[in-house]
Amino acid sequence: MTKITAPAERSGHSDVSRDVMQAYTLVVLVEDRLGAVDRVFSLFRRRRANMQTLVLGRCELPDVIRITVAVNDSEVGIDHLVEQLRKIIDVRKVAHFMAQQAITRELALIKVSRIEEHTRAIIELASLFGATVVDLTASTVTLEVSGSSEKIDKLVGQVQRYGIREIVRTGSVAMAYDAEDK
Amino acid sequence: MAIAAKIIQQAGIPGQTDEARELAGSHIICEALVREGVTLLYGYPGGAIMPFYDALTSYPSLHHVLVRHEQAAAHAADGYARATGKVGVCVATSGPGATNLVTGLATAFMDSTPLVAITGQVARTFIGRDAFQETDVIGVTQPITKHNFLVRNASEIADVIHQAFRVALSGRPGPVLVDIPKDVQFEKAVYCPSDYVTSEQYMKALAEGAQRPADYLLAQAAQLLAQAEKPVIMAGHGVILSNAYNELQAFAEKTSIPVITTLLGQSSFSDTHPLHLGLPGMHGPAHVNRAISEADVIVGVGLRFDDRVTGKVSGFAPNARIIHIDIDPSEMHKVKIATVPIVADAKVALAALTEVVAPQDHSAWLKEIRSWQAVAEERSQSIERDDNLPDPVSILQGIYEATKGQAIIVSDVGQHQMWTARHYTWTRRNSHITSGGLGTMGFALPAAMGVKMGMPDDIVWAIAGDGGAQMNIQELATLQQEGVAIKYAIMNNGYLGMVRQWQQFFHARNYSETPISGPDYVKLADAYGVTGIRVKRREDIASAIKQAMETEGTVIVEFIIEPEANVYPMVAPGKAITDMIEE
Repeated sequence: MTKITAPAERSGHSDVSRDVMQAYTLVVLVEDRLGAVDRVFSLFRRRRANMQTLVLGRCELPDVIRITVAVNDSEVGIDHLVEQLRKIIDVRKVAHFMAQQAITRELALIKVSRIEEHTRAIIELASLFGATVVDLTASTVTLEVSGSSEKIDKLVGQVQRYGIREIVRTGSVAMAYDAEDK
Repeated sequence: MAIAAKIIQQAGIPGQTDEARELAGSHIICEALVREGVTLLYGYPGGAIMPFYDALTSYPSLHHVLVRHEQAAAHAADGYARATGKVGVCVATSGPGATNLVTGLATAFMDSTPLVAITGQVARTFIGRDAFQETDVIGVTQPITKHNFLVRNASEIADVIHQAFRVALSGRPGPVLVDIPKDVQFEKAVYCPSDYVTSEQYMKALAEGAQRPADYLLAQAAQLLAQAEKPVIMAGHGVILSNAYNELQAFAEKTSIPVITTLLGQSSFSDTHPLHLGLPGMHGPAHVNRAISEADVIVGVGLRFDDRVTGKVSGFAPNARIIHIDIDPSEMHKVKIATVPIVADAKVALAALTEVVAPQDHSAWLKEIRSWQAVAEERSQSIERDDNLPDPVSILQGIYEATKGQAIIVSDVGQHQMWTARHYTWTRRNSHITSGGLGTMGFALPAAMGVKMGMPDDIVWAIAGDGGAQMNIQELATLQQEGVAIKYAIMNNGYLGMVRQWQQFFHARNYSETPISGPDYVKLADAYGVTGIRVKRREDIASAIKQAMETEGTVIVEFIIEPEANVYPMVAPGKAITDMIEE
């Protein structure tokens, strides 16, 4: 076989193997039109994308919906997914980044069982995480916390011992760091 | 942005009356179609599309062909589009009419054919309420169209129709569906032609703004090619879609790199050119697959490295670096990692690449490949055939000789499709039309009708097996009503042959549900008012083809072929392409 002193495979990309899965955050801006969000979701379905969280909401542009998806995939896989998303006519913009490249935030409501002697401890714990008490009944205390997913995981872990009745998490939203801040 | 600015400047065709008029939605559809240059549409009326059909009679330049099944409308529009390069148009009503289009849309989607499908929908107030003949056709067709639109009011219609044409044609072409509720077709709106950008204006602006691939990519490609000792070119459908025949030939000749043509790439490069090798993959001849396996550089142009081409991916071209030219960025690295990914129109990219590469000589490599080819051909010629039935190779050669290679051949799906790709000699550009990606049986007859109506001066042969021939055979009535003449070869082996072949090789000859009977095609032809000929002996092939060509109107030629004829060689699914079953 010939020896080729050639450009690296996929020049401009890292040489991470196809089998290595990494966590990515995708931000997809779609036109607020009939079927537009459907098209994005059905692409994820068709590719059997490994979605962790998915958030849909408004943004600074009128008539545009911002979809934030946390997904595990290989580098090649994510590049392919991004290009396929870009082919959808209603998709205006697609950005993807790894965790350290973006500010990611999630909101959670955690309803914890309470008995009188634990109440103080729960509230103190909550304040350490910047969580606030949003409801208090004879048998439960409900906390609201926002931050990175890891922070929420930690708080959940800490209040576990008091008995968790219910948790709702919004899934992460993300915004890339400004280049000049880096 | 530059494109948009250019289009705004171009908007307003000189000489065109540009009065704002109030028209019904149904008339606006027709106006927009006329302005898009549409002359032919295939369709079938029904409740929800009736206002459109009512308006249609006021537009004599729109020739509507009444098919006998909506699936055939989509295939006919597809055939028309593939042969002419224009957008094919099909029309159906809501519900069953629209769902009957589905197979045709999926076929066009897989093979990147520009189509616009217009469907009627129940009135807006009924949508979502399970009305008579209501189907969520937007939902149904979403994964098999490039885009689809539900028109919400009459003032949107013109813009949506023009957008649909632009989307269908631009970049990697594909089908677009426009769903129009019945009451929107009745609703009046102000229509002013010059308010809208047609696909012609748009494509012109797009072509002017077409970007040459980045210099560093061209330099990388040139560097790879300069060092290559065993390069091959693999040409796919993209070459045909971008009309890059001359550029491909110039590039191949300057670099003297042998050219492999994929199934949909057949007829993108002349089979008689000394650099042409043939079909790769599952049914490709041994020397082609071996060339791929030994290649050190592959220039892939407008192909997607489909699994029927690659076989087991890890065994495909294990030594090769790939220069991949495709207009669709999502094709890059999808199957094989491309060392040099060039996202561009094939025509532009090949021209640019030809400029930067140095002339090369690969005659030793070509000679080596030809020596493998010679061995295989000698072997195959030594195989004795004792029966006197018409054989597929002689039939295809017979058609080639009778038409001097100038016919357009439309094949169906199955064994005959592979024989056609392999044994017909493709010398005329874009003369091979088939359903490659989806593999849709029943494609050939309606598609051939579309081809013939798009290219009325050309001879069109459809070729099918006796399985596929019975799907969409009703279109013989459409051909007859329209006075459109095609020649139709049916290779009848009494089996669903390709499936039977797989059963023979991989399921211990358990011929489960593959023996199939059919009608008497001569009588059937007669019933439809066309001509039928049956050929049972090999020596009658040439005279039957001659008779078919000399007979006016559509002619069916039924060839009774050997029941268990196989397509050789064959790569078992999941195996490397060098691992072949030979005769």
